[in-house]
Amino acid sequence: MNGRPTEGSPGESPDVPGLRTEASGPRTDAPGLRADADRRRADAPGLRADADRRRADAPGLRADADRRRADAPGLRADADRRRADAPGLRADADRRRADAPGLRADVDRRRADDPGLRADAFPADSVRDRARRGTAALFPPVEAYGRTLFGAARTSAHTAPDADLLDALRLVPPVFMPRRLEKLIDLAREPMHHDVDLTTVVGALHSPLPAYLSAFGSTQVASADLGTAASRQAGRLGLPMVIGENVVPVNGYGRIGTAPSGEAERSLLGRIRAYLDELPDGAGGVAVQQSTEDADAEVWNLVYSDPSARPLLESGRLAFELKVGQGAKPGLGGMTVLDRAAAARVAEQYAVDDVLGGEERVLRCSSPGTFTEEILRQQIRLMRNNFPRARVWVKLHPGRDVREAAAVAWSAGADAVTVDGAEGGTGWAPLGFLDTVGLPLGECLRRIGRPAAGLLVSGRMWEGTRAAKALALGATAVGLGRAALLAVEEDPERGLVRLVEALALELRLLISALGKYEASALAYEDVWAAGTGLPHPDPSLAAPLGTQP
Amino acid sequence: MLHTTDTAAGPAATERLPEAPARHLTDPTTRAVVRLQNGVLTAARDFLRAHGFTEMLLPMIGPVTDPGVRGSKQVDIDYYGHRYKLMTSAILYKQASLLAFDKIFSIAPCVRLEPLETANTSRHLAEFHQIDVEVAGASREEITRLGEDLVRHIVREVTEHQAEEFEALGRDTGAFTELLGQSFGHRTHAEAVAELRDMGHDQSADAEIDWQGEAMLSAKSGRPFFVTDYPKGSRGFYDRESRDEPGTLRNFDIIAPEGYGELCSGSEREFEYARIVARMRETGENPAKYGWYLQMVREGIPDSAGFGIGLERFTRYLAGLDSVWQASAYPKVPGVIAP
Repeated sequence: MNGRPTEGSPGESPDVPGLRTEASGPRTDAPGLRADADRRRADAPGLRADADRRRADAPGLRADADRRRADAPGLRADADRRRADAPGLRADADRRRADAPGLRADVDRRRADDPGLRADAFPADSVRDRARRGTAALFPPVEAYGRTLFGAARTSAHTAPDADLLDALRLVPPVFMPRRLEKLIDLAREPMHHDVDLTTVVGALHSPLPAYLSAFGSTQVASADLGTAASRQAGRLGLPMVIGENVVPVNGYGRIGTAPSGEAERSLLGRIRAYLDELPDGAGGVAVQQSTEDADAEVWNLVYSDPSARPLLESGRLAFELKVGQGAKPGLGGMTVLDRAAAARVAEQYAVDDVLGGEERVLRCSSPGTFTEEILRQQIRLMRNNFPRARVWVKLHPGRDVREAAAVAWSAGADAVTVDGAEGGTGWAPLGFLDTVGLPLGECLRRIGRPAAGLLVSGRMWEGTRAAKALALGATAVGLGRAALLAVEEDPERGLVRLVEALALELRLLISALGKYEASALAYEDVWAAGTGLPHPDPSLAAPLGTQP
Repeated sequence: MLHTTDTAAGPAATERLPEAPARHLTDPTTRAVVRLQNGVLTAARDFLRAHGFTEMLLPMIGPVTDPGVRGSKQVDIDYYGHRYKLMTSAILYKQASLLAFDKIFSIAPCVRLEPLETANTSRHLAEFHQIDVEVAGASREEITRLGEDLVRHIVREVTEHQAEEFEALGRDTGAFTELLGQSFGHRTHAEAVAELRDMGHDQSADAEIDWQGEAMLSAKSGRPFFVTDYPKGSRGFYDRESRDEPGTLRNFDIIAPEGYGELCSGSEREFEYARIVARMRETGENPAKYGWYLQMVREGIPDSAGFGIGLERFTRYLAGLDSVWQASAYPKVPGVIAP
């Protein structure tokens, strides 16, 4: 599967040994820190400043990373990776503070025995923590309440020159809040964060919060039962769900015949049924992806004419997502690692490359499909013509002309454009693509400016601050991809539900702090970072935000 | 006894479904309809042969079929381990057959797993037959004239020779007076959209006339009429795009009067390789699966125009039936399990 090293699995890293040692440094230190913290906690019942010390460690780590980056370009990916991991490290520290050695042992064990899903450059531990503890994971441990000094400023890792715009931004509440006054008048009492209305129309589907479940990438990851468990939990939440284009080729439709994977519930219709079983009235919906080569399988036609999709169609909760590209490998089509026997079966449909070494595995490559303005426009019109009762979504990769492509899609009548930042995507891709190809999501949002219709974005989304920043930059909703898979793996019954509950509470807190009471009210004025041109001098302008590099 | 139509009121909307084969086949209405349909086929063949057409027996299965079919699903079959399709229409083979003859026709079944919502449009079948016609070198003007003449010939023949069937069906052949005596009406897609919007119907300018809109236009008319110049994005890649007005197709439908709706679709065809490949992409198709067809197109096929008349729909209109399934001896209503 994924070849990039993760902080938790140094042994699997294909990188240079020196890097590995450095990356695992903080983890080796951790028990010491913890012991120290415990000792001090035992000794000193009064206020303590251990959090500061630990925080002080974090910038050190980052500075170290930056220094190494400056010294050796070859080390760069590693530094970035650790920077991206920083929130995870912090959450980890918090968890330790919560005195939960059992949890920690559990995490360590999982790493040692079965690494489970890996999500490199992604704060997997923090996501898992939320999947276990839900909203409690939003706060410092209650045991520390009244006994610990919080609030010393942390130097942000996000100020590094090439940091993602979304990371670099801060959310900046005003002092004067006329909208809060409006809400006060409306309620006849002071508004609270509970009063924030998060309900959002996500590509013509109704969601209880500005989020949806992204398609899982073209890896074996989403073929596991996690896909079905995620469907069930998303259904329970009323969260709109995208079903990836890879599901039919790998797991089948779920009608006559045996699915290639042999299990009907993993199939496309199995996923839809799992979702519908839990779905409350009036919320959610399913967006079924199709890419160029899936046109052969006629996935949309199948769903549109299938009895089990009928409840969705009749309640206006079925969407079709035209997959133009993806974040993990902009400009390329899907890639799947297959064993040789499976590859022989699909050789007529797909290019199969023997480039992975060894006897067992080969690489199946899909063509990405050719698009021009006219091709995109006409494909969208044809979708509307052929499937008049389905909503139309268009998924773009983070290309340099993402603004123009989104504009074509909206003007042709797409209900929503989905943009996968280069940091997005659960897919298997060449390392060079994962590291350096495509625009990060923040830059996509900056280029797109104010959207003409729904703008759905994905890329390292799992918590409220990044989501709120994306919404402030114009997004309608954020997609949970990797985070959802990790949460479901952590707890197949409630993991995603808890993660989303935490996200909703955090969004309510943030939005109310900004003096607003609807998710859609977030705007450019709510974010700031030095040198980014934000907030925009004239927020009414639909032009791309700030200056383009 | 099946309900037949009061010509003044137009066809009734019915959700009634076919009965078991033994009852359906022995119903006097079914017998009358099948005899009338025989008259249609005989008249069509006579007319086309007299005009120099060769009848082709075209394949029912192939590696690829007509993709330009609104929302319906193709039927896959396992052909010695290769995924083949049942024909949704014979369009690709019609074009190919012009390499042998300049004027061809074919009467063949088409299978389309239509969306379930079409089960109660009264005019969709998952399996139906088409009178398919293709003429090398023809323009839209020439092919629409041929289509109009063919329809008029068939109606004249069956009204002259099958009074007994019309009597049994309770269909007043006075309904065809305008058809027999006057030329068909013409309106462009854009005009039809404007007309529907004036009638308070929210019709998209970029899409096919929807079923309800088509029925509204049809109900207003006393004789068949053409709708021409559909927008690109509403039809398959093989309908030729106007060279003078990009975005508009050189195609047409024939809409029956009295609310019976579309009887026939046709067009001038794309025949140039690069245009066909680009149009395939615009219609979301993967050119790779059209290997045999594109190879042939690359080597050169004649430019042409043609059309297909839905046999059961035409029969339904002639017989004045509530539902198109009544025009089939073995009807398959979309989504309804039937032998």
